Amino acid sequence: MSLTDLDDKTSHSISRLQSATDSIFEFLSRKWVMISITVVPVMALFVFVNLVPIGWTIYASLHSTSIYSPEWTWTGLSNYGEILGDPAFWGSLWDSLLFAGGSVVVQLLAGLSLALVVNRSFRGESLVRAIAMLPYLIPTAILGFIGLWIGNSQYGIISTLLMRIGVIEQAIPWYGSIDWAMPAVILTSSWKFTIFVTIMVLARLQSIPEGYYEAATVSGANAYQKFRDITLPNLKGVIFIVVLLRGIWMFNKFDIIWVLTGGGPKDATTTAPIYAYNVAFNSTALGKAAATSALLFVMLILGAVLYFRVLSPEQEVRVE
Amino acid sequence: MSGEEVDYRGNVPLWKQLSFDQRRQVKRAALYVALTLGLLIVLFPLFWMFSTALRPQGQMFTTPVSLFPRELTLEHFWALLDQSLFVTFYINSVIVALGVVLLTTLTATLGGYGLTRLDIPFKRTFARTILFGYMFPPILLAIPMFLLWREIGVMDTYIGLILAETAISLPFSLWLMWKFFQTVPYSLEESAITAGASRFRAFYDVALPMSKPGMIAVAVFSYAVSWNAYTMPKVLMVTETKWPLTIGIHSLTQQQTVYWGQVMAASALVILPAFVFVYFLQKYLLRGFRAGGIG
Repeated sequence: MSLTDLDDKTSHSISRLQSATDSIFEFLSRKWVMISITVVPVMALFVFVNLVPIGWTIYASLHSTSIYSPEWTWTGLSNYGEILGDPAFWGSLWDSLLFAGGSVVVQLLAGLSLALVVNRSFRGESLVRAIAMLPYLIPTAILGFIGLWIGNSQYGIISTLLMRIGVIEQAIPWYGSIDWAMPAVILTSSWKFTIFVTIMVLARLQSIPEGYYEAATVSGANAYQKFRDITLPNLKGVIFIVVLLRGIWMFNKFDIIWVLTGGGPKDATTTAPIYAYNVAFNSTALGKAAATSALLFVMLILGAVLYFRVLSPEQEVRVE
Repeated sequence: MSGEEVDYRGNVPLWKQLSFDQRRQVKRAALYVALTLGLLIVLFPLFWMFSTALRPQGQMFTTPVSLFPRELTLEHFWALLDQSLFVTFYINSVIVALGVVLLTTLTATLGGYGLTRLDIPFKRTFARTILFGYMFPPILLAIPMFLLWREIGVMDTYIGLILAETAISLPFSLWLMWKFFQTVPYSLEESAITAGASRFRAFYDVALPMSKPGMIAVAVFSYAVSWNAYTMPKVLMVTETKWPLTIGIHSLTQQQTVYWGQVMAASALVILPAFVFVYFLQKYLLRGFRAGGIG
């Protein structure tokens, strides 16, 4: 066998292999095959992990079942009746509102000012932006552990420093005091989530044409007037999105509160998600917990409807 | 100074007495003061985490407390590896993160392409449903998943947890890839098809390589969702040896005696990969997320 023969043979088998992959690719290119390998898997997965659980919540909310037994007993709407008649549920909604409202205010004010500051050019700009992004990378639970340590009632560095400079006389158990727990949890979570507001606002700020400001300067506007008449109107839309989304997310936040206070002291930070968790896994009333989730879903839908009505979010995106 | 504002006493306000350059300097100074304050707030908790993790146990509770440890030690790291299930937790977190990243990136990339290029009914409805799915908080999905996973037998398994966390990472990832493929010009694929390539070949050889920044953004995002997850594993994982890091470390803070040095050392080890990823992937992330409409 000569070398050219071998070459011929290899090239032949290569071309055979190629025509084989070609015909596979040909097959994959048919429209229904394309659809079933691209869109169908992701839709199926989405339906299974996102939509089926919602349906399951509603189904489960009409039953009574516990952690320990897989028995399901039909109870109709009685779970809803029990929840709506439970003052602790309404208290948890109020706490959720407080937590969401406080967080949105803090995050909006801090995030907006940070964006306005970072939007200017200055030395070390990129370093500052990188550092500002750091908190967003910290897992919420880890933030909780750090918070527990620096806000520790005996050896926490925050109390120690504040005592040193004479602001407080005694160490304060920040997460363990009825008065301080809620503000402390709000501030701790805002440490992480403020940058979300900054990123969104910054993107919008940079899309405002420089010419507007130049024209305003020429007509003698001062810095405040420029902010009021140019910056703010342009930020209106993004501020609405941020308030709505952060509000929805903070209203339903579980992890940071659970790690920092567990809903306590007493029920000072028992927000609606903590309430639902406790019903499910401390009272082991899973049907009732499902009813709570379903009620919270209804509120989520209201938020979503507002979101879709006011904006066309198909053009807008946000990140968490 | 004629034409300047004058207050009711007839004095020119201090601010107006400054020259233009002086005013600029004052503004600069105020800017830097604000920045320094902001950076302090951001950096101090992280600094304190490292300062605690590297401080000998004997200097943990000294009064007056010293900001920097007087000597550095790795004793907490060794104790952590030695006395806790930290390594097991770490492996669990890695396994689950790999699963979530693969599942999310694969399905979101294919789906994003299909939704952009193929003619499919109800696209708009689907877009809204996905965005709605993105609002779902983990706790509201975790409770029904507990019930459902128990029925289908994936409760307390890696697969169950991977699926659960995909519920959080998928909507945004699919959205991002959908938007990303819209920025990849179809003309390139078209010319490949005109040159005789099949539709799938055009996707595989032309569109897919161009979507790399989007895929990397999705991979990093879904990694972060999984690595940071607390609620899902809290509800769905019962066996201690299957816990991921977040749940495992939390259990360290709930013991009779809490070794804060170890907790902070563990926290530092959880955070580090995130920093490394973001540092190396910065340019891809920016492009990827920008296409999704964020940056």
